[in-house]
Amino acid sequence: MSLVSFTKARKDDFDSMKQAIREALGLIEHSFGEEKNVIIKPNLCYYWDYSTGQTTDPRFVAALIDLIREQMPRKIDVCIVESDASAMKCRYAFKMLGYEKLAEDLDVELINLSEDENDVVEVAAGNQTFQLMVPQTIRNAGLRINVPKIKYMSREGVRITCALKNVFGCNPYPKKFRYHSRLAEAIVATNKVMKFDLCLTDGMIVSGIQPCRLGLVMASKDPVAIDVAAAKIAAENPMKIQYIQLAHKEGLGNTSFIERGKPLNYFRDRYPRKDVKTQLLGKAYAVVARAGLSHRLGLE
Amino acid sequence: MTSRIMEVYKLKKVGLGVIGLGYVGKIHLKHGMKLGNTNLVAVSDLSKRALAAARNAGVKRTFTNYEHLLKDADVDAVIIALPTHLHLKCATDAAEAKKHIFLEKPIARNIVEAEEIVSVTQRNAVKLMVGYPLRFNSAFRSLKENMRNRTLGDIEIAHGDYVSSGPFLHRAESHTPVPVPEWWFNKQLTGGGALVDLGVHIVNLFRWYFGEITSIKSCLGYRFNMDLEDHAICLARFESGTKAVITVGWFSQDYRLEVQLLGTVRNITASHAPPSGLLNVARARVEMLTKGMSRFHQAHLAELQYFANCIIKDLAPSPSGEDGLKDLEAISLAYRNSVELKM
Repeated sequence: MSLVSFTKARKDDFDSMKQAIREALGLIEHSFGEEKNVIIKPNLCYYWDYSTGQTTDPRFVAALIDLIREQMPRKIDVCIVESDASAMKCRYAFKMLGYEKLAEDLDVELINLSEDENDVVEVAAGNQTFQLMVPQTIRNAGLRINVPKIKYMSREGVRITCALKNVFGCNPYPKKFRYHSRLAEAIVATNKVMKFDLCLTDGMIVSGIQPCRLGLVMASKDPVAIDVAAAKIAAENPMKIQYIQLAHKEGLGNTSFIERGKPLNYFRDRYPRKDVKTQLLGKAYAVVARAGLSHRLGLE
Repeated sequence: MTSRIMEVYKLKKVGLGVIGLGYVGKIHLKHGMKLGNTNLVAVSDLSKRALAAARNAGVKRTFTNYEHLLKDADVDAVIIALPTHLHLKCATDAAEAKKHIFLEKPIARNIVEAEEIVSVTQRNAVKLMVGYPLRFNSAFRSLKENMRNRTLGDIEIAHGDYVSSGPFLHRAESHTPVPVPEWWFNKQLTGGGALVDLGVHIVNLFRWYFGEITSIKSCLGYRFNMDLEDHAICLARFESGTKAVITVGWFSQDYRLEVQLLGTVRNITASHAPPSGLLNVARARVEMLTKGMSRFHQAHLAELQYFANCIIKDLAPSPSGEDGLKDLEAISLAYRNSVELKM
């Protein structure tokens, strides 16, 4: 069974984040080895900064880089990767969300995967087949670290997103909305061709129904297990989340796990989860989307 | 000239052309098709998708090059809803084609271009109105009425807040982000950030309330590390003696457009907010589909109706090109007089 650790940062600062990350990694018995280079994939979904709970806090990534350099025997190359999306351009997101400054301060490289060399790979997930581009930076990395956020998503089969969905963001093809009609399969397919070694969730501020400071750091080597944990924290049933079930079926990880550190329930009790009204609105959205009216009603 | 006025008087409906079908251009398109005193003749945009949508909405003449639209004899006036750096060229071409102009704010990216726009419209004897929908918003008009009636006493202090996500549009209800056109990130093309984008609205409104600005200072903020400011606070003083605090920002997922007048007799607040929550958004969209407008954009409808009336009745529109120029002069002064707050 996979290990998932839960720790809480005491404060909202670099040192507290670093300490919580150190504890979380210790609890899953992870230690950094002899890798030549490391890539880190934060979640930069748009030009919303960390205070909204939608994107990874650059201080969290900085704390992780500091820890890696402290624990690795020699200086290694660190890259922060992201790709352009339907509504976001990396070159602006890196600047606006504080990653350009981080890269300067810590001497790390920022890579836009949409501009990277890539190989095209055919991959099947569920009953769908995809031709996906795999960036060379990801393929050649010694250690791949996924630093996602926990977020709700009002889409059939994808009610909550965390580690697996963040890897979907490595797909260099910018118009990712084209996958939305088969998003669960696309998420799983991307994870099959781009496997990450470590997931470290930035739950310092979670978006939930509104942003809330949770101070959570969650670590695991299993992306499916960490997504199951994320779903439970957000009071969603992981059995009903299509992409998690499909990822498990496709052998990407386990749906059961051993909890380490603070109890999961501690964070679930504090998560800004959906109330009845929001759940009803979510269902109304789903009906509108199924009827193909989202665009006409300006909801998309 | 007399024959021209006679010619204009004969107009029952103003033939309109919309140049630029971005966010606000689409609103004008819908309103232009709905109003009784306008006849939406043609549209122009580089996006074939936007033109196809306009054709589906009933517009017969669509162009990818606005110069073709300007040659259309049925077009009496154009609405220019293009990025700011294209205002001068397009307004000059339109004026020389003898088309009246409704120009979206800010009038231009700098004072030199704004002066040129005002001058070219005067030389060609065409009307120029700058789009400031707050002047046609019932809540903000009622403040003016209160001031006229002196029910508030002397207004000692005014607050104007306009904080939103700016060009980083998104729909919080669906978490679906909207792409941001590249020009928004380029100071050379926009002429500035949140201060010029949103500040001109409040400056124009307050000039209408209190007269000309006698002094103005700003403090600019750069939360998003861009070359242009994403928020600003201005302190201004007006001819009437009123002091104003103007707060603008692009940093918030929430929307706040509020004016507060603190008078010697009464204090009063007026605000304008978009529909929020799924049901209200859906209701607004249904209104848009069925009636061609939503309550949120009522002021845009009123300003277009007024502009068309100005053409039919040969009146000078207000806010005029000169107003747009004065607003930009005030904003430019605020940029020049920006101060840094020390930590």
